[in-house]
Amino acid sequence: MTIQMFEKPLGMRDDFPFIAKKKAELRSKGTSIMEKAGYDLLQTPTLEYYETIGKISAIADNALFKLLDSQGETLVLRPDMTSPIARVAASKLLKEKMPVRLAYYSNVFRAQKREGGRPAEFEQMGVELIGDDSLYADAEVIILASSILKELQVESVRIVIGHTQLLQLILKDFGLSDEQIDLVREALVSKNSVGFEQLALSLPIKEEALESFNRLITTSTLAEWKQWIDPSNTEQNELYEEMLKLHKIMERNGLVDSVTFDLTFISHMTYYTGLVFEFYGAGSGFPLGNGGRYDGLMKQFNLQVGATGFGLRVDRLLEAMAPNREKELQTLVLFTEETEQEAHELAQKLRSEGQRTTLQYAPAVQALDEFTALFSDVRRLDGGTNG
Amino acid sequence: MDELTIAMPKGRIFEEAYELLVKAGYDLPKELDDSRKLIVEAPNERFRFILAKPMDVPVYVEHGVADVGIAGKDVMLEHDRSVHELLDLGISSCYIATAGLPNTTMNEVTPRIATKYPEVASRFYRSKGEQVEIIELNGSIELAPMIGLADRIVDIVSTGKTLKENGLVEYEKIVDITSRLIANPVSYRLKQQRISEMVEKLRKQALK
Repeated sequence: MTIQMFEKPLGMRDDFPFIAKKKAELRSKGTSIMEKAGYDLLQTPTLEYYETIGKISAIADNALFKLLDSQGETLVLRPDMTSPIARVAASKLLKEKMPVRLAYYSNVFRAQKREGGRPAEFEQMGVELIGDDSLYADAEVIILASSILKELQVESVRIVIGHTQLLQLILKDFGLSDEQIDLVREALVSKNSVGFEQLALSLPIKEEALESFNRLITTSTLAEWKQWIDPSNTEQNELYEEMLKLHKIMERNGLVDSVTFDLTFISHMTYYTGLVFEFYGAGSGFPLGNGGRYDGLMKQFNLQVGATGFGLRVDRLLEAMAPNREKELQTLVLFTEETEQEAHELAQKLRSEGQRTTLQYAPAVQALDEFTALFSDVRRLDGGTNG
Repeated sequence: MDELTIAMPKGRIFEEAYELLVKAGYDLPKELDDSRKLIVEAPNERFRFILAKPMDVPVYVEHGVADVGIAGKDVMLEHDRSVHELLDLGISSCYIATAGLPNTTMNEVTPRIATKYPEVASRFYRSKGEQVEIIELNGSIELAPMIGLADRIVDIVSTGKTLKENGLVEYEKIVDITSRLIANPVSYRLKQQRISEMVEKLRKQALK
């Protein structure tokens, strides 16, 4: 295969100036909201060990970019941010300061199988709240993510909330074993209702319970969940009570109309063990971001603490965020050899006034009309006239 | 009421699917299958139909340009797309099977399999532990064994008529196929009410 000079590896993209600019705006809005909420930004390495982050990350093995270091160890380009941050938080440095609030804006890498156009490198921003296993931590991150979406003026935001642990307990009540529950989960991740109903027939579910089992997949409110909560099961009741509390908090924050409580919503990220959620909005055909509670992941780093967080996909937010209608003002100062000093002084004056100013030696420009058309204001110190 | 964009497969499945929607109580224009038009509106129900190649229906739905779509399970098995499979419509029922010339065994050195479904075929033979060479063709698959390109074909069988006419026999059935109602994951959330309503209406028809 010959590679053309302008080609890039599969899934890699150039960000042209207007995209880079939009991203910068998105980044500053997002990070400022996260910082204001008390989260500290951090940066982790691009390369990690396959043995640690690669295996823990919950990203499919064939989606990892792998390479070898000079010692022959297998490395991966970081496929997600949650596991590296969990690693950092579990290190000595931060252990004593729990709960710790960390935020990130970073690129992650996932190899793509299909269609070269899909990005294999993309930015994510999000937070991790580590060392707090209360419901209030979950509520905090959901509200925080929503406020970022609001600031970016994403329309028709929808938040879908599920609870992995509660679902597990309810499925157990149908008499399913752990292996059978795993099969059910698989059908649920892709919301494959057909597969789910077919599976139900092959599972040892009592005939009279089958209808109720099939109804699991259609829930959208907490009230609907209640029919499966076994009143004699304290664990289920406690978790359900928590969800009701969360509902109240969502209500107080004006989010209740944007929330769907879907009992069978579970994430493809397998490290989520409790509350899970996903964000959607008009403008993108793919989810904008997701998150949830991942206490189990912390255990892998020998830390018995609660942790929750969210990650938003920057590439999808770019599609869903409101377009910036303000046309940016930019001045061009054209000069010749004679007017160089004068032009330089003018440019400095304009810049000190906050005006974005480009300084250009006029004879070096080939197509002057096309070039000047790019600017909102042109100052001719080259003897020419505008127009 | 949100407008709903529905990706429909052109050809064989279209009529059955359209009829099912009408039977389910949707107020749709009588004549729709004008094969030249690619986008057709049904203003009374605020539906917009996209008429696509059957293989492409899940693509439109995955990218969200169509909220829902009607796609054969064969297409879904061949290309693993992230869409929600909401309902088995029970229409366009057929199955994928292997077929070949009668009373033949597969070549011992390199058994060759011709198919329009390389992924399905490869998965099937792998699961049996047989190593085969898959040859992807785009149509007239029956030709392959007749002229010695392949030992077996993996293809859709609905009545078995095409196989018979070409002197082929069916060997193994791989999987049953029907058409499914699929949805884009985002549309499923943002237009939940309309989509759930459609599932319920169609479910009643599909059960009949």
